Amino acid sequence: MIPFRLTFQPGTPLYEQVVYAAKKALVSGQMRPGDTFPSVRELSRELKINPNTAHKVVAQLVQEGILEVLPGQGTVVAKRLEATGTERAALLGGVIEELVVEARKMGLSLEEVRAALDSQWRRMGRKG
Amino acid sequence: MTHAIRAQELTKRFGKVTAVDRCTLEVPEGSVFALIGSNGAGKSTLIRMLLNIIEPTSGEADVLGMNCRRIAGDGFRRIAYVAEDQEQLDWMTVGELLNYCKPFYPDWDDALAAEMVRQLALPLDRRLKHLSRGMKMKAVLVSSLAYRPKLIVLDEPFGGLDPLVRDEFVESLIDRAPETTILISSHDLTEIETMATHVGFMEEGRLTFAEELSTLAARMREVEITFTEPPTLPSPWPPGWLNPQVAGVVLRFVETAFDPRQSPASIAERIPGAGRVDFRALPLRAMFLAMARAARRTAV
Repeated sequence: MIPFRLTFQPGTPLYEQVVYAAKKALVSGQMRPGDTFPSVRELSRELKINPNTAHKVVAQLVQEGILEVLPGQGTVVAKRLEATGTERAALLGGVIEELVVEARKMGLSLEEVRAALDSQWRRMGRKG
Repeated sequence: MTHAIRAQELTKRFGKVTAVDRCTLEVPEGSVFALIGSNGAGKSTLIRMLLNIIEPTSGEADVLGMNCRRIAGDGFRRIAYVAEDQEQLDWMTVGELLNYCKPFYPDWDDALAAEMVRQLALPLDRRLKHLSRGMKMKAVLVSSLAYRPKLIVLDEPFGGLDPLVRDEFVESLIDRAPETTILISSHDLTEIETMATHVGFMEEGRLTFAEELSTLAARMREVEITFTEPPTLPSPWPPGWLNPQVAGVVLRFVETAFDPRQSPASIAERIPGAGRVDFRALPLRAMFLAMARAARRTAV
């Protein structure tokens, strides 16, 4: 099993979607520093993606310093990786952009969007 | 050699019917090439010509560097062919089938065969004729992949298979993908969408396009335009905009040459009064449907 889930959406390159899902799993605690990251073979089999795509995912995450290649151990989540609030918020960027675009199309004001966000936040039972 | 398959103007006529019409195709080495198209579009006929199962009426093709008309004995040791209606040695058990195939292939890999038998949960002692369709296809798959072919050709491999078996099928293919080239004709577009690197579309015997899946995905968009009044459509309708449909004040069509910098302006210019314009990326299945529908419309 691989420690994150995703449903592919058309329009964004597959490898970007997998990279994003992996980062999300990291900041949300589904993967911890030191955990073994799935191999290229596991990734491609589980997600039914071309092994070249899976390879690109791992290479990208290694390049970004999110994964480390340890001799004899394979690829693991980098030890020193502590997700800051800013990094976590950055992952929301795409979703927020979408929300803003949709809101503008509907002619909503920033105040109205804020109010909708507020009430949704409260409905989920989280502290504002 | 950078192409596993290179066909030029390959044509097959059966009497007065042209099943494949001047098909020019390149399948890069290492690619997973999805050949899609409606029933009777000529996909199987094209594949059979490439593998010297039937002779082309005209045209040429190179397959793994061999002239397709001359592929024989040795050539077939580097190619796997899995088709829906394949003849099988039904009286054999799975184990006997594998033992029967092995001597034909110098590169037969016992360890790989054993691993696949285990992964696919194949019963070695059962006769093929007593197996379900899915199990039988899995046995054929093992006998075709165990010799590590340089080219794997699958003609509608998923027909009649349940989702679990399809999944196992795809996994076995993915495992081989790094060391081979895969040409797969299929209707089951969701099964191959994430695996394919290239896609070719056949319609009425013609290969209407063949390109990398990523470039295809980048240029195809569903466009939805919302007007304030029911719209007047441009005449003539641009040929690159497929399947226009109007519902009230909403117009929808598929743009086949999307460019984020130019498409909005070109739409504004051709359709006056266009209000809000939305562009949506399409899954392979939706692209296929749009093109197949457009092809049917022009044929009528």
